[in-house]
Amino acid sequence: MVVASRARSFWRRSFSTGSDVRRLYTTSLLAVLLLLTTASSPAQPRLGTIRGRVEIARVFQSPERRPSASDLGTPPPREIPDLRRAVVYLETAPAAALESREPARARMDQRNETFLPHVLTVDQGTIVDFPNNDTTYHNVFSISKTRKFDLGRYARGKSKAVLFDRPGVVRIFCDIHSHMSAFVLVFSHPYYAKAEVDGRYRIDNVPPGTYTVSAWHEGETRDTRTVTVPPQGGDVDLDFVVQ
Amino acid sequence: MTSTACRVFRTAVCIAALLIATRAAAQAIPSEPLTFGDGRVVVSGDAAVAFAPKDDGFFNYSSYEQTTLRQVRFGMTAYVRLSDRFSVLGELRSENFEYVTPFALYARIRPLPNRRLDLQVGRIPPTFGSFSRRSYGHDNPLIGSPVAYQYLTSLRPDSVPADLDELVRMRGRGWLSAFSIGDRVGHPGVPLVSAFTWDTGLQLSTGWNMVTAAVGITNGTSSDPRVSDDNAGKQVSLRTTVTPATGLIVGASFARGEFLDRHIRPLLSNPDAHDFDQRAAELDVEYSRDHWLARAELMRSEWTLPIGTAGAVMPLRSLATTFEGRYTFAPGWYGAARVEHLGFSQITTPTQTTEWEAPVTRTEVGIGYYVQRNLIAKTSLQFNRRDGGRITRSQLLAAQLLYWF
Repeated sequence: MVVASRARSFWRRSFSTGSDVRRLYTTSLLAVLLLLTTASSPAQPRLGTIRGRVEIARVFQSPERRPSASDLGTPPPREIPDLRRAVVYLETAPAAALESREPARARMDQRNETFLPHVLTVDQGTIVDFPNNDTTYHNVFSISKTRKFDLGRYARGKSKAVLFDRPGVVRIFCDIHSHMSAFVLVFSHPYYAKAEVDGRYRIDNVPPGTYTVSAWHEGETRDTRTVTVPPQGGDVDLDFVVQ
Repeated sequence: MTSTACRVFRTAVCIAALLIATRAAAQAIPSEPLTFGDGRVVVSGDAAVAFAPKDDGFFNYSSYEQTTLRQVRFGMTAYVRLSDRFSVLGELRSENFEYVTPFALYARIRPLPNRRLDLQVGRIPPTFGSFSRRSYGHDNPLIGSPVAYQYLTSLRPDSVPADLDELVRMRGRGWLSAFSIGDRVGHPGVPLVSAFTWDTGLQLSTGWNMVTAAVGITNGTSSDPRVSDDNAGKQVSLRTTVTPATGLIVGASFARGEFLDRHIRPLLSNPDAHDFDQRAAELDVEYSRDHWLARAELMRSEWTLPIGTAGAVMPLRSLATTFEGRYTFAPGWYGAARVEHLGFSQITTPTQTTEWEAPVTRTEVGIGYYVQRNLIAKTSLQFNRRDGGRITRSQLLAAQLLYWF
């Protein structure tokens, strides 16, 4: 009884009111939570950006219509595909990047006997629509190992879709018009970028680490470099030259 | 051309082909044609190798020595755009390494750049019919060609029979035909329409929305296209197509031209009494949807020819019917079939009434596989039946590998 009485006396001397007690509890709880948090996970690393330019040093001639001596007249004009777009991507990605994401939807038009865009980059699991905007039939197909399909012939205003569920490069053709071709690049991670017309590209949110980065253009990986994103993150410049 | 000059020419063509093929191999995308001069010059090529057992019945011969089922063929096409209004197209072909032929060589003139009006002058594509302009391997789902465009009848422009019995005796021997008036040396007869030789002349084509129309004036006839004129008579041919709905094309053609060689007419007792011509009419339909493509064609040809030298004239008619289908059953795989019949009008000789040429029925079924976009492997089985000739039936299994860029 004497000990209990002394203890109560000590509390009263130290904390004159009840609000002081509540403050102490709150402070202690926060301190414990902070300690637990610090002990259970390391500090979040800062993410970096790989950016630069892909210089297309070689002249890539837009594919012409196959000359046919059997035509009774001049064939109709067609749109010229843009061959200046390269794609830059990490060859290997952090494990967290491979987590499944929501299935997305993309579109590749058929207009004036040309696939638009000429190069389409999508996440694995994306469904790509192929609408026909020409007055003639088109027959989209691919015999690439990554994704084989044949959509058959369909007319203007109609569209058919393909699920791209495996990463890789898929070459797209039209069975009727041999000059029509395009690429769909399917990635299992988000660390890729299609270069702008002037060659500039930017891959954001790259965790620190050392990576192999490749530049792809018109069916081939043209240049491969190694780059390190530092622990403190920030921008890393990396240029490519497609010879 | 001397044999030495021929060899030099052949070698030069082979070297040119090799150089272009090397250039093609170096390109990232070998399925596309080669372009030079900012697209002003475009060159494409194709090679086809076909294997089959010997065709003892000569069902697939397009000339005395060439069968469409056993053939190595190289082709190279060049397009040169000199201006918005003027371009030149040419195609060289070589079959079985034996010769190089300028299959096509013509100028294309578009007087009004924004109008669908073209004039083609030179060795031009056929105006008549539908198959001649898609006889290239990748446009033909099978290996053989339709009988109307390939099967050789016994008729020749430079050799005519002395009587109907002689005509009947030549039934089923069109691959090496000879009659007693005119050239008596055996040569191949003519098909209804030749898909393997193009005519020379001029052609005007135009189009409005869903309609196209073309008219041609040429030296030869549909069955006997020529570089140089052999009878001072021109062929007039017409073709029109209508596309009432996407995927449906209806076409019709008509042609009439002087057929008989100029060396025959002086042998006749009344040489100017008749026109000895070929008249042909044709109707074709193509419909495609989803993975299906179907074609049908009906062609009628009539040759008016002298029988003997005394003034007898006989119209000799033939009718060709063709049905063709193609179905893509898996990505890169398709199956195709063609069923056709070639019939002939009847004539009465002192001893019998029969068709002037042996009717032919052909069925061909096959499978094609895209090894890559511009490399196709095909195989087909062809059944032929003929009501005359030394061999009346044949079954031929053929395979073909086809590459183009």
